[in-house]
Amino acid sequence: MPTSTQKPLELILARNLMSALSTPAFLVDEGGLLVFYNEAAGMLLGKPWEELGTVGAQEWGALFGPFDDGGEPIPYDDLPLVKAVRDDRPAHAEFEIRSTDGAGHRVEVSAFPIQTPHGSRGAIAVFWPAADGADGASA
Amino acid sequence: MKVKLWGTRGSVPSPGPETIRYGGNTSCVGVTLSDGSLLALDAGTGIRNLGLSLPDEPSRLHLLLTHLHLDHIQGLVFFAPCFRPQTEIVIWGPASPEASLRDRIARYISAPLSPVEVRELPCDVSFRSTPESEWEIGPARIRAASVSHRGPTLGYRIDDGDRSLAYIPDHEPALGADLEKLEDEWISGFGLAEGASLLIHDGQYADAEYPNHLGWGHSSLSHALSFARRTGVDRTVLFHHDPLHSDAQLDQLGEEARERWAAAGGDPGAIELGVEGAELDLRAATPEPSPVPAV
Repeated sequence: MPTSTQKPLELILARNLMSALSTPAFLVDEGGLLVFYNEAAGMLLGKPWEELGTVGAQEWGALFGPFDDGGEPIPYDDLPLVKAVRDDRPAHAEFEIRSTDGAGHRVEVSAFPIQTPHGSRGAIAVFWPAADGADGASA
Repeated sequence: MKVKLWGTRGSVPSPGPETIRYGGNTSCVGVTLSDGSLLALDAGTGIRNLGLSLPDEPSRLHLLLTHLHLDHIQGLVFFAPCFRPQTEIVIWGPASPEASLRDRIARYISAPLSPVEVRELPCDVSFRSTPESEWEIGPARIRAASVSHRGPTLGYRIDDGDRSLAYIPDHEPALGADLEKLEDEWISGFGLAEGASLLIHDGQYADAEYPNHLGWGHSSLSHALSFARRTGVDRTVLFHHDPLHSDAQLDQLGEEARERWAAAGGDPGAIELGVEGAELDLRAATPEPSPVPAV
């Protein structure tokens, strides 16, 4: 029998779609593990996916935030991607993330679960510059 | 395990003098397991001849449907065992949040498309959505997984002893992706085909035709060859021939496939185009090592 661990098709197709988008987008599996982000997200973070590789949400938080209005790290369980995976519900939030050069970026994030006939497979999050356009350095 | 190709055409039946060698019937493959029991893969028009080949005696059949496009179910109401009360047929297929497998198939086997309804079929028929985990039919272990095509679509892997068949007749693994660059785990269908003794795979389009059919759910020759190479299968049958491809065009496609496979360092005999009526004995697919002579 095969020995490789095949990603579910829904994640494969999501990654393929995200690869073609110019909107920053992130993909986590059903365990909350970040398994991909696209080129636009890599530009926002200052680090392409190929250089980062698979990381857990906790590690992700340490690398890039996000941070609340007071500059405090937002608890892991409050992140939209985590809520989407955990609760099988869409989630939305506005916060700041920091790229590798220390620059802060205020973004709005919408996350939604990937539902299949066999249950949830993970979640997708799409980032947008915050509505007030305040995407400036604050680090 | 023995395999017989009862229908190799994709999309729509295409009988005629220009398709007489590769065949015009749509997808159906018969698999005889090591204990003699029979599996049918898909129920395109090729299943009519499969049904006619079976003896009229009590039997149990498993029919594994990859998906419910018409070229994969059209032969079902012409499958002789459906009309034999002593036959039990178990139909497996993809799950859908929209309706049960039975109800979705009944859209075809019902008026005005069909003269009979599912409930009128004399055979003992049941419908089962494929499970996520492996299951057994006779001596075989069966695995189904979703693959990249339009609508809920499965590929199957059948392991019987040390032989394995991967059947992925409708598949566009390169949609939005470069198969040569993707990691194995991100290739649609990889886990089904990995290291299989025989891969029956979508090879519908020549490379020049693919750009006009992007997203239609099928592979170009290059994509099929890449998938076969990446998955490390022993032998590949290109399948689901385009209905517009004549025997002469398919000859050319097959020749190109063998040349490219050989140029990449493969055995050109390990790549072939599916021919309706062809029988493949997996015991002979990969020769066993010669016994060590006694001294």
